[in-house]
Amino acid sequence: MFHDLAPQLFNGLVLGAFYAIVAIGLSLIMNLTGTINMAHGSFMTLAGYLAYSLVLRGTSFWFALIAAPLIAVIVGIAVERTLVRPLYRREPFYSLLMTFGLSLMAEEIFRLIWGPNGVPFSAPAALSGAASLGFMTFPTFRIFIVVVLVITISALAFFLTRTRFGLRLRAAVQDTEMIAALGTNTQVLYAVNFGLGIFLAGIAGVLAAGMLGLSPTSGNALLMPAFVTVIIGGMGSLFGSIVGGLLIGIAISMTTLFIPAASEVSMYVLMAIVLSVRPRGLFGEEGIFG
Amino acid sequence: MKVRRDLVLFVAIVVLFACGPLISPLVHIDLSILSEVLVTTLAVLSVNLLLGYTGLPAFGNAAYFGLGAYGAALTVTYLHVDFVTAVLAGAVAAVAGALLLGPFLLRRRGIYFGLLSIAFGQVFYFIAYRYTDVTGGEDGMNFPRPPFGPGIAQVSINQVQFYYISLVVFVVAMIAFRAVVRSPFGRTLIAIRQNEARVRYLGLDTDRFIFVALLISALMAGVSGALFGLLINFAYPLELDWHQSGNFVLMMILGGAGTIWGSLIGALIYVIGKDIISTITPLWQIFLGALFVACVLGFPRGIVGSISALRRIASDDPEDAASNEAFDVSAPIEVGRGV
Repeated sequence: MFHDLAPQLFNGLVLGAFYAIVAIGLSLIMNLTGTINMAHGSFMTLAGYLAYSLVLRGTSFWFALIAAPLIAVIVGIAVERTLVRPLYRREPFYSLLMTFGLSLMAEEIFRLIWGPNGVPFSAPAALSGAASLGFMTFPTFRIFIVVVLVITISALAFFLTRTRFGLRLRAAVQDTEMIAALGTNTQVLYAVNFGLGIFLAGIAGVLAAGMLGLSPTSGNALLMPAFVTVIIGGMGSLFGSIVGGLLIGIAISMTTLFIPAASEVSMYVLMAIVLSVRPRGLFGEEGIFG
Repeated sequence: MKVRRDLVLFVAIVVLFACGPLISPLVHIDLSILSEVLVTTLAVLSVNLLLGYTGLPAFGNAAYFGLGAYGAALTVTYLHVDFVTAVLAGAVAAVAGALLLGPFLLRRRGIYFGLLSIAFGQVFYFIAYRYTDVTGGEDGMNFPRPPFGPGIAQVSINQVQFYYISLVVFVVAMIAFRAVVRSPFGRTLIAIRQNEARVRYLGLDTDRFIFVALLISALMAGVSGALFGLLINFAYPLELDWHQSGNFVLMMILGGAGTIWGSLIGALIYVIGKDIISTITPLWQIFLGALFVACVLGFPRGIVGSISALRRIASDDPEDAASNEAFDVSAPIEVGRGV
């Protein structure tokens, strides 16, 4: 059992990286507008299916990896402008309920277009096979996933801390009224921010399709761990989501190895422990949702 | 005047439901569907107490509903208890679940409370899903409907009798619910929704009020779940899933948040609508999703909420205006973000 430990640990980290990137997308949207996007998983699935269809029509995997999330972003911004936007002034649970409805519709629509069962979506030949890491071998595609996710998260961190637009976005999370009074068009911020969240979901969706399979409900399966990630990491913290995601990934992979039946429950136990010690999550900021 | 009008309405509706076995063949709706409406109303009321009255996004009430169903299913299957005991077992299971989760949920308010409710509620789903030896896992568990009570009351229950049992429970629950929300305790819950900080400044421990509200809510959801399980003789993990919680919230919004009758009307439309549409088309879920979207965007006050808002405008009745039952969605959020 113990010689499985290292690969399983690494698997956990890959899974955790997925949770982290989905959670970051969720909390970007949540922090700025108070919207819990229950349709986040649907956008992941959408990007996965789009990539599948693109590859099926002969485009390369690399093109699909970028194009599919971008199409999902266009759909996402259209949804945000028409359906989510009217709810910003209302109690936040209305947008939760609305996006929940969207996810129900999306699931059925995916089923209509791409069939009720999963479709095969595999990594390109260059990424299949296994790489030797010296002490163990590991599927190349998973290493590739880690690289892409790390690059994406770094790019996002750079965008949020070093660019003018990113700084405005973070300032708007602190005080939307003030940033609006200072002459920033907050509606553009909302739309771009939503699109950014969906883009992260889209990237994760395409990669997850290659690793975890693709079915109408596959994205929603990642949504609940992403919620738990946000709670453990703390709302308002990008770094918290990364740590939270990796912690959950490791917790799940370790329990899968030793007590398989408890693999899902483990993350909730972790969440309960974190909340009893630190109610606002590991890196939650004071003032973000009290 | 208002009290008498409410009483007349209440008696009229109970009498109407008492004629259910006569009406159901006329409108081609199975009596079990009407039982389901009554039973589901209890679960919607449980969400209403937390969300409609106290302002807490209760997106985890399916956990208590499912615990009720599994409480009944497990005790009937393994302990061979009677009907009444099974319902009580379901209620106890649900309240125990709320006692367990409450301390965690209480730490946060607003949308964070919703997030915690969704996440923690899902624990029970995975337990039921994974603990296959006892709960049957994904397949759920079938169980026979037990006799009504112990000793001489040991009679079996047919569909009509079940309907009247749920009607009695429904009537008791409606009266109790009205008493709760009209009591000083209920008024405090409404005050918490409007401005929790101010309630706290008045010296009230709002955590304790919310905890009690959570327990009452879990109790109602648990009874509802237990009756639902006994109605369909089946308990399955999806009863515990957050989709189910979402459906309860939808029914509450549809009928009218923060109104007693709204819960019944929401459950009525949802359950009967689902029964009719799902026999016509397999795409029921698209309709359901569209209903969510349409309701939230176009009809946030719900049916009863809209009617009482209209009546308030028409009558300009200060008593109605002060009754504050309708959940005022157009009111700006005081400590909002993204405005």
